[in-house]
Amino acid sequence: MKQGLEAAWPIALGYFPVAVAFGALGAQAGLGYLWIQFTSLLVFAGASQFALVGLMAQGVPPLLAATLGLLLNLRHAFYGPALRPYLKGGPLEAFLLTDEVFALALRALPGLSPEKRRGFFLGLGLGAYLSWNLGTALGALGAKGLLAWPRLGEALSFALPALFLLLALPHLRNPVALLAGGIALAFHMLGQTAWGLFLAGGIGLFGERRRP
Amino acid sequence: MTLALFLLALGTFFLRFLPWRAERSLKAGQAGPALVVALFLVSAFSPPPSSEWLRAALALLGTFLGARLTGNLGVSVFLGAGLYGLLGFL
Repeated sequence: MKQGLEAAWPIALGYFPVAVAFGALGAQAGLGYLWIQFTSLLVFAGASQFALVGLMAQGVPPLLAATLGLLLNLRHAFYGPALRPYLKGGPLEAFLLTDEVFALALRALPGLSPEKRRGFFLGLGLGAYLSWNLGTALGALGAKGLLAWPRLGEALSFALPALFLLLALPHLRNPVALLAGGIALAFHMLGQTAWGLFLAGGIGLFGERRRP
Repeated sequence: MTLALFLLALGTFFLRFLPWRAERSLKAGQAGPALVVALFLVSAFSPPPSSEWLRAALALLGTFLGARLTGNLGVSVFLGAGLYGLLGFL
């Protein structure tokens, strides 16, 4: 688990400012601290949490806001099957399975011995979870000013694209991955990021594994 | 409001858990690499109009070079993020 916690720090670095922003947004929308914190504690899925709070602040009925949040998370259904060759997922592993945890685990798990994989994955997920919840608490309690130092918040948020670049590098010659990525990017440019990612997962699902 | 929170929490959990544990699950095919490349592209490039693409591209180049030079994922991410922050001053 220690190895996973250590590997989690690029994710934690990137999550922190985004979580502070989420906490601050919730407080700005007039939501109570406990409700905001429990959203991060129980959901642990950034985009859908922003959607839930943002939509409710605009007066969208809560159940509809939750349903839209769930649609944003549809892509998560692909993550477990992609990790299955390396790790059998239990409830705890599934709970910790975010975009970034998935991408880093997909790279790291094949190189680990089977008996080390679960501990590594749990450490990785736990590091990300702690950062997300600490950032949420600070943002919700009014400490968003700690990211006011010029460009610090922006720089920290860029940790996630930088991390994804390094995780994507080995796959940039894979035609299925490139096609899926291109389609996801096109949807993203049209403001439909979640659907683009879901389609990318679907394209990958039916893509043939390249022969060595 | 609380019901919405629980619905989102439970739904998200089951979206992650059930396909992973299903007895006759879908074969993942190339879903892993496809999603990783897609996540990279959508996280790095914001929809237009964006004046940030050059800044993002330079910071990504810094990340890549950092990885080549150090071979360390964490250090390279830190370098890329720092470069992105510094480029914001220009």
